[in-house]
Amino acid sequence: MIILGIESATAQVGCAIGGHEGVLASIHSARGRRHAENLTPQIEFVLKQARINMNEISVVAVDVGPGLYTGLRVGVATAVSVAFGLGVPMIGVSSLDLLAYPVRHCSKLIVATIDARRGEIFHADYRQVPGGVQRVSEPSVSTPDDLAAELQAHGNEAILVGDGAVRYADTFTNLRGVEAAEPSIAFPSAASIVQLAHAKALREEFVVPTELEPVYLRKPDAVEIENQKRRLL
Amino acid sequence: MKSGLTLGIETSCDETAASVVTSENVVLSSVVSSQVDLHARYGGVVPEVASRAHVSLINPVIAQALVEAGVEPKDIDLVAATNGPGLVGSLLIGVSAAKALSLVWGKPYIGVNHLEAHLYSCFLEEPDLELPLIVLLVSGGHTILVQMEEHLRYSILGQTLDDAVGEAYDKVARYLGLGYPGGPVIDHLAETGSNNIEFPRPMINQGYDFSFSGLKTAVINYVRQNPETPAEDVAASFQEAVVEVLTSKARKAAAETGAKGLCIGGGVAANSRLREEIFDICLEDGLHPFVPSRAYCTDNAAMVAATGWRRFLQDGPSLLDSGANPNLKLS
Ligand SMILES: [Zn+2]
Repeated sequence: MIILGIESATAQVGCAIGGHEGVLASIHSARGRRHAENLTPQIEFVLKQARINMNEISVVAVDVGPGLYTGLRVGVATAVSVAFGLGVPMIGVSSLDLLAYPVRHCSKLIVATIDARRGEIFHADYRQVPGGVQRVSEPSVSTPDDLAAELQAHGNEAILVGDGAVRYADTFTNLRGVEAAEPSIAFPSAASIVQLAHAKALREEFVVPTELEPVYLRKPDAVEIENQKRRLL
Repeated sequence: MKSGLTLGIETSCDETAASVVTSENVVLSSVVSSQVDLHARYGGVVPEVASRAHVSLINPVIAQALVEAGVEPKDIDLVAATNGPGLVGSLLIGVSAAKALSLVWGKPYIGVNHLEAHLYSCFLEEPDLELPLIVLLVSGGHTILVQMEEHLRYSILGQTLDDAVGEAYDKVARYLGLGYPGGPVIDHLAETGSNNIEFPRPMINQGYDFSFSGLKTAVINYVRQNPETPAEDVAASFQEAVVEVLTSKARKAAAETGAKGLCIGGGVAANSRLREEIFDICLEDGLHPFVPSRAYCTDNAAMVAATGWRRFLQDGPSLLDSGANPNLKLS
């Protein structure tokens, strides 16, 4: 089984290729907003580096968010088209799951965070389980202050991971029992997608390209304004 | 044996479209999924709503275009997608899908200028149109008068200095409480109204540029001062002013440049008065008229595929590390 993993839901864009033997090649770039420009050449590059032919790909896995909308959609549109073009199934992986995965050896509460812009953070909580992590809260969007208050309220020892925690470090540094993970793992990695998707593939958790939907967690502004108007009238 | 098959993809605004066209401009399929109902409640296209819909629709639309054309991926020779101008978030979805398909199928990719594609929609139905031509490109986003000297070579004679024609239609319709999009409603209402209000014809005798914002304001002021006027008459009089400005400049351009024909393209080219007037002018002036069928006036991917193939023969493929340009110009 050969899995192509695509990750472009944050400020960085990348992909990786791998399977039973683990990750065979991966690449990331983070300069400028060049998700759409870089992603297709990156796929070409990792295939060459891993010496894998296009038609050997048996699954396309993609980060479905939450994340930055334009980049997220570039990743999903590309992944869906690769899967459709090759006639292979897909696996969707949450960006927050991808962030929690590298800190799976930590026994504290793991809080995965992604900078949602506009003064907000996408986040979800995870707990260590044998062989990985398990999500223990629904992904949601909050202000850094609300997230900090929540962490203090339940008083658990926690580790914060992701670029949301990095961006709002000032809000979280002095919280009791809360530590920050290394900034080097602040972005979801394409290698993690291949690893998580491999486990899901063994459980046959496949979707067809038409079933794959990005996770936004926010309605478009215009819809929000419309809803508010309706509530007020 | 079908050769030179191009898969075209269009996502620049609020239509998700895919099409398969042969090198002889034979359209084997043209699938358009319009989001107009999604945007109607906001009175205009909402970029974030459009982008979300494109992501959900892009794959089903492409799949349907291939099935309707009865072709396999291996038959496709070129993958073309609109890369500008338009809404950047929307453009990137079509471009990403096209580049990915190009990569996995091992076929070349080309990015297509949406405005050039509208110019070429005329050639889809009439491949032998004689050049030079004058093309009037009118839509919700553009109002451009173009001289087409030879294939893939144009000069822009004039364009709007403020609102695009389609935009003026939308704003007037919104003011009259007629809903969105404004073009078809006003066109329909105008059929039963009379052209009895003298609205201004902005810049009608000044070069080839256009201005519609003043006309829109004049209509709104008139209705404010004369609230009893039937909406049908306002619609008919407004439409008459718009059509007169557009056609008189196109006519002058055809005469001054020695054009053999006059074409229209873009969403507003579906307007019944404008279509009628273009035929009349061409008849009087001995020009070859060309008015695309309504399906090829509004955004579609057949025009993208046809233009992509023509460009590909001249310029070769685009690079896979190219993106989209929301402000792409016609050159
Ligand atoms: Zn258009």
